[in-house]
Amino acid sequence: MIALLAALLQQPQQPPQPPPPPPRDSTPPEAYYGVTEWREARAKLEPLMDRRGFTVYIIGDMEGLAAAVRNATEMRPPTRGGGQDHESFRAELTDEINAVIAGAREAGATQFVVNDGHGGTLFRNTLPDRLDSEAILIRGYPKPIVMSTALNSQVDAIFIVGAHANAGTPGIISHSFAFDSFTVNGRVLNEAGIAAFIGGEMGVPLALASGDHVLTAETRDMLGPIETVTTKLAMSRSAGAGFAPARVQAELRAAAARAVRRVKAGELKPLRLARPYQVRFCMRASYDPWFVGQVRALKGLRADRGDRCFAYTTQSAEDAGDLLNRIEWIVLKP
Amino acid sequence: MIPLLLLLAVQTPAAPPAPKLPAPDAGAFRVLIIPDMEGMGSAVDIHEVIAGNEGEQYRTLTSDDYWQRFRGLLTQEVNAAIAGARSGGARSFVVNEGHGGNMFANVLPWDLDTAAILVRGFPKPLVMITGIDSTVGTLIFTGAHAGAGKPGVLSHNFAFDAFTVNGTTLNEVGINALIASEYGVAVSMVSGDDVLIRETREILGNDFVGIVTKYAVGRMAAITFSPVRIRRLLQDSAAVAVRRAMNGAFKPYRLPKPYRVEFTLRRSYPEMVVQGVDSLRWQGLEKSGDRSYRLVTSDARQMGYLLDAIERVVLH
Repeated sequence: MIALLAALLQQPQQPPQPPPPPPRDSTPPEAYYGVTEWREARAKLEPLMDRRGFTVYIIGDMEGLAAAVRNATEMRPPTRGGGQDHESFRAELTDEINAVIAGAREAGATQFVVNDGHGGTLFRNTLPDRLDSEAILIRGYPKPIVMSTALNSQVDAIFIVGAHANAGTPGIISHSFAFDSFTVNGRVLNEAGIAAFIGGEMGVPLALASGDHVLTAETRDMLGPIETVTTKLAMSRSAGAGFAPARVQAELRAAAARAVRRVKAGELKPLRLARPYQVRFCMRASYDPWFVGQVRALKGLRADRGDRCFAYTTQSAEDAGDLLNRIEWIVLKP
Repeated sequence: MIPLLLLLAVQTPAAPPAPKLPAPDAGAFRVLIIPDMEGMGSAVDIHEVIAGNEGEQYRTLTSDDYWQRFRGLLTQEVNAAIAGARSGGARSFVVNEGHGGNMFANVLPWDLDTAAILVRGFPKPLVMITGIDSTVGTLIFTGAHAGAGKPGVLSHNFAFDAFTVNGTTLNEVGINALIASEYGVAVSMVSGDDVLIRETREILGNDFVGIVTKYAVGRMAAITFSPVRIRRLLQDSAAVAVRRAMNGAFKPYRLPKPYRVEFTLRRSYPEMVVQGVDSLRWQGLEKSGDRSYRLVTSDARQMGYLLDAIERVVLH
């Protein structure tokens, strides 16, 4: 034992070696069922739509939930490197979605499609047995156009709950998909804005967004005076002053009812942008060159302003959503 | 794994006798329910249906959801099917764990309908259809999944990339329906995702009551409905299925004999699995490719016992 210790001490000091690169999965998007099949997903939901009633499509994210501040422990489960608190926030996510469903129902909405929009557990954070039992829930990953899966023109309004502020802003856990910036025709869009862009092309308005004060202010700047619920005041990217979950849920319920009434009254308009859409984005600076190289290999992209920025021109917002999802697949493979 | 393989190599495989379950009371109509998990309501991801104790390759494929939620939801689905079958007129219920998670012990025995006999654990003869005999009135599959390579949620087929009988591709429901036909028993109800239901209709025809629990939009993603709604559907449909079964509405799934069974072991399995199957020296099993085999038999149970042996090689 002592001899071994001595031998170890005598070993020449070596410069620290960089850790070996993680194994890289380069499965192309087309090779895995569920990444690119957005037309099929839409065709599967459309026959289930209530054509005479009023349908709300609810995107559930987690960073903007009441009281949520910390990515490392609250946003993902222990099995994916997070903490036990994630389970509490899954319940909060489900309760906040139930609150907007209840409010929307009071105002006459008849059908609710919930799309789990948070990667933490790979898009299965909402608790199926706690969610309003009338709701349809889209869950799992990969799924086509990840945050707008199967969105279609039969939807009457889009809500986004628990949303976070855009990349580069001082909001809590602020980010935007895999990007440092994302614009369409020069307009900056956050994740809520991208959902509004895809829905807008189908004539569906984004009517309600909830999250921290940075998210609610920036989303009103992008989309106009939609209904917003500020769940907390951001103090840093991982701290904030929050309102009680029960109070947030009550506000969500009231705001959802107002949102449905305002859509019915024609007050909230879909986001319509001029075609062809000029999409420009820069990949996050934190991604290493391997990811950027995989993105560069996607069809239809042009290099734009430096080696991690790209431009894309399309006539279809869903196509742009599909491209975004192919990029998500590169950085997020389970 | 190695000692087990050696053991298998020196043993001459003998078909294990089918277990005898107590016969139902005179005149009681018996339902054999085979719950799988991949096609149950809400489940989309492998972490939701795996306990992590099924072998080395499964160790990291579990999550808290499996223990905390999905076993409970599974048990409630089975209870809903039993309640429906009871209101349809059935009086005897056998539940045979059809899912390999936790080594075929997923249903929570304490929460299961107390009238049911629960077959759990592994190995067991005829794996997915243990308990089949002529006392069974009808077969119900819940939570079934689409076959290997199909665009369904968690699609696969036992240990195979391909499995055909007389040239017809069979999924797990089809394979077990063929075994059941040896006893004259027919399938009356199947639940699973839209891909599974469509595929099973191609195999069994339009006879059975089919329940779409979810619409696949990826191999691990789906448009799903609430557990409450799925249980209501299962209960209502099981009542219809049993009522029709008691009137003899369903025909056993028959193919011409002798059966020409051909299959290919999964490409993703290590070479050890192929060696393990080779070392079974199964009577009548011919090798037709590096991972492909052929068996000709006039008794579908022999095919079932071979599947048992292969499952034992895989789930060491």
